[in-house]
Amino acid sequence: MERMTVRRKVLLYTLLTLASLVTVLPLLYMVSLSLQTEAETLAASAVLWPESPQWGNYAELFARAPFGDFIVNSLVVAGAITLSHLIFDPLVGYVFAKFRFPLRNTLFVALLATLMVPFFVRMIPLYVMMANLGWLNTYQGLITPFLMDAFGIFLMRQFIQPIPDDLISAARIDGASELRIYRSVILPQTRPALAVLALFTFVFQWNEFLWPLVATSTPEMRTIPVGLTLFNQEYFTLWHLTAAGSVILFVPTALLFVFTQRYFVRGIALTGLR
Amino acid sequence: MPAHPSRRDLLRLLGAATAAAGVPALSSCAGAPATQSADPGTFTVYWNAGHDYQAYRKVIAEFEQAHKVTVNLQKYQWPDLRTRLLADFASGTVPDLVEEPGGWVQEFAVSGNARSLQDFVDRDGQAMGFPSDWQPVTVERNSYQGKVYGVQLHLTCNTLLYNKAMLRDAGVEVPTTWEEFLEAAKKLTKDGVYGVALNQDYSYMWPWMMQAGVTPYDAGTGKAMTPLEDAIEALQFQADLIHKHKVAPVPVTGTDYSGPQKLFSAGRAAMILTGPWDLDPIRKTSPDIDLGVAPPLKHKVQATQAAGVSLFVPAKASRPELSWDFIKRVTALEVEQAATQETGMLMPRKSWAELPEVQTDPVIKVFADALPQAKDSSQEVRLTGRFGKWEEQLKVMYQQVIIQNRPAAEVLTEFAKTAEGYLK
Amino acid sequence: MRPRTLSGRYARTAYLFLLPAILFFAALFYLPIGNVIATGFRTGPMADQWTGLSNYAQALSDPSVRHSFLVTAVFAVLVVIGSIVLGLALALAIDQPLKGRVAFRVLLLVPYLTSVAIVGLLWRNILDPELGVLNRVLLALGLPTQQWLNTAPLLTIAAVTLWQSVGYTMVLFLAGLQGIPETYHEAAKIDGADAWRRFWRITLPLLGPTTLFVSVMAVISGLQAFGQAYIITGGGPGDATDLTVFHIFNVAFRTRDFGYSSAQSVLLLLVIVAFTVIQLRAGRRGEVTY
Repeated sequence: MERMTVRRKVLLYTLLTLASLVTVLPLLYMVSLSLQTEAETLAASAVLWPESPQWGNYAELFARAPFGDFIVNSLVVAGAITLSHLIFDPLVGYVFAKFRFPLRNTLFVALLATLMVPFFVRMIPLYVMMANLGWLNTYQGLITPFLMDAFGIFLMRQFIQPIPDDLISAARIDGASELRIYRSVILPQTRPALAVLALFTFVFQWNEFLWPLVATSTPEMRTIPVGLTLFNQEYFTLWHLTAAGSVILFVPTALLFVFTQRYFVRGIALTGLR
Repeated sequence: MPAHPSRRDLLRLLGAATAAAGVPALSSCAGAPATQSADPGTFTVYWNAGHDYQAYRKVIAEFEQAHKVTVNLQKYQWPDLRTRLLADFASGTVPDLVEEPGGWVQEFAVSGNARSLQDFVDRDGQAMGFPSDWQPVTVERNSYQGKVYGVQLHLTCNTLLYNKAMLRDAGVEVPTTWEEFLEAAKKLTKDGVYGVALNQDYSYMWPWMMQAGVTPYDAGTGKAMTPLEDAIEALQFQADLIHKHKVAPVPVTGTDYSGPQKLFSAGRAAMILTGPWDLDPIRKTSPDIDLGVAPPLKHKVQATQAAGVSLFVPAKASRPELSWDFIKRVTALEVEQAATQETGMLMPRKSWAELPEVQTDPVIKVFADALPQAKDSSQEVRLTGRFGKWEEQLKVMYQQVIIQNRPAAEVLTEFAKTAEGYLK
Repeated sequence: MRPRTLSGRYARTAYLFLLPAILFFAALFYLPIGNVIATGFRTGPMADQWTGLSNYAQALSDPSVRHSFLVTAVFAVLVVIGSIVLGLALALAIDQPLKGRVAFRVLLLVPYLTSVAIVGLLWRNILDPELGVLNRVLLALGLPTQQWLNTAPLLTIAAVTLWQSVGYTMVLFLAGLQGIPETYHEAAKIDGADAWRRFWRITLPLLGPTTLFVSVMAVISGLQAFGQAYIITGGGPGDATDLTVFHIFNVAFRTRDFGYSSAQSVLLLLVIVAFTVIQLRAGRRGEVTY
């Protein structure tokens, strides 16, 4: 690498600092809102930081609604879906990357086509289906529609494709079963991609709103994003509580990100999206 | 990169998808009544998240005791409640009782999703005072083909809220007509304070329309927004407050109704035209504002728009007797009285308007006195079954004039012409 | 005979491994989609009356449908261009040997982790022309206040969308940049090409596949944008931000015309497929391999 001139360095730091401020400041403002009194959130000119932080807003969330249940439900649902993706997406991706079989391209295109369907288009038929199964207001009802998705499979396929075929042939000659080849030859090599997959899936499901809204029928089964709607009045938003809930909503995804971020660029770089 | 799909692949895909289409459309195969709670011990009610009053909690406790059921009170914001309800109608699993924001009762009566309550009214109406004790507009807006389908729970209307100190300082009398209103707004606009703040939501135009004597839709003649020139005048008057006289800020497009209230609470607007729902946030955030409430303005007539929520029972609800009993309990005079004491909400019973605490409260009394002048804005439209489209187009039309400053004459004429086409 | 049995065996294994996925996608994607296609031929509040192609005929001549497709196309173009320009610029900056680049990467990606609903509510609050924090800051700096959502609604919601997604795009480009072998740059340097030229002659062409992927994903998500209108603008002012998915959602859940909304969904699906195919075709032609 060439040595950077001081001017160029200053320029780059300024650019990155400004961009980071733009991305982070609004979120800090959300934290600020969560610590304001209701009056401060509605004050004449926006309050940048509360005079005395109202940590009690967080306690109020739990007092006003079964917020503990919301957190558990969100963790169970997003966790189970993420787990399911980690099981199925690499397996299916592996098949599309390394096997030749009739209708392969057709099936792959049919799979990718599902990326193009907005969720609410499927929502009513899914709702009728879940109602007929008696799965409304249950965890299986919340989880089933999202067990796999084309994006995750595509990501894994891209990642597995560059793995040399020789590794697989060698294992076959050694007499390993197909499932074993997948488990002990392919899967261990996909760790960075699995981290990326886990993060994407969890973040996406954790924030999902429409399906838990229609598929739950008791407060105790709601997830956090749906539960948050309880804190609004008919004609106005209770900002302090909504913001406090949003902060809580944000924490797990941020933690997960901190743990997986070191895999992040590598994981994506190796998917062949170069 | 993905293997790029060929035309043949897409055709195959389409073929596969059409083959799968052999399933029934939206209706579930279950024709029998089905209530959401598979558990017969649960009674499911959809409620607005902002209406979870103590007074109603007490009714629920008594109801649970009397019928040995558990009430599952599901609270939603209005748009979410509607999304949920339509999914329920599609699947056939419905709640026992639904609170609605006004207008849905007739819509769902027309579509066959609401149950007629006429049999219960015939039986119990005398004893509970329905319909005789309800303001007439509330009975009419919940009926279809001569039958009652819903019972009004709250009845509200728009009037004028003003900042007493600001009016005093500017030496302005409380306006009663449009001319006085404009003059007052001009005098009140100064130093970062606007004379008035208008709402981005189209429904706030109705009091003006009604004061101008406009009929939104006349099913008999098939005409919309008549007399058109009065409707244009009313709409242009509102736009002129913003763009010509500059006595009001441009409303921000959005999804809530709290813009004017926030400006009023912040001391940035001296007058707003709104309903009782804005009283609570104003008092909470700005207890030092000396709040004045005045009757609706008068132009050709003194009038305002009726609003407020009603209750109805889905057609497929399995225990209509229970649902009706809930309605009776929650609309009793004592409950209305308790809810008003708790929240200041306005109620549909005529006898409620006579209560001493209503008559002696300077704020509630103004609203209560305005209720008999309140009119429903869209009843004739709802009965055509094209209410959704009408609302969508109203919203666009209103914002084009109010926010984007397009001439009311042009936009409203176009709106009326289109509406007359699809409402027929 | 042997190879055939072998390939037969692999095919069997492949299908065995695929079985759960085939069942899942058939039952929970294609069945509902089939249902939507079927509903597109029906009308009425319960979508139970057959009307043939009339929903499609109506949609093709409905000015509000055409308008919403136009709005969405403009929005998607704004998002695609913004994603590529900003994402690439940030990736190029962060790809330099700077201290704290990991921290910057994390900070830039943070908005991607929040939900669209919260992003929407937050920005609505921040952008409020009279009471919002942004105009307050402008006022304090002695600058004129703005009414972003009224004067440039589409641009504003595109900016909010980019605010949330640009970190992700940046990472994609970063991955692409790190995949370019250093030798290319070295060779160009020996030939005397300056940094600007190296960017245009080497970096950009070799980033072709990444750019294609970013633009395909941005078009798909741009055409499917919904929360921006649902939460921030309500489709207004007027119908200026009446994004197609929001429009279709309203036809379904506000107007309650599921037949008409389904027909429009199918049309949107066809548009998305067409756009994607065109992009992939174009991308294929211009692809540079190394």
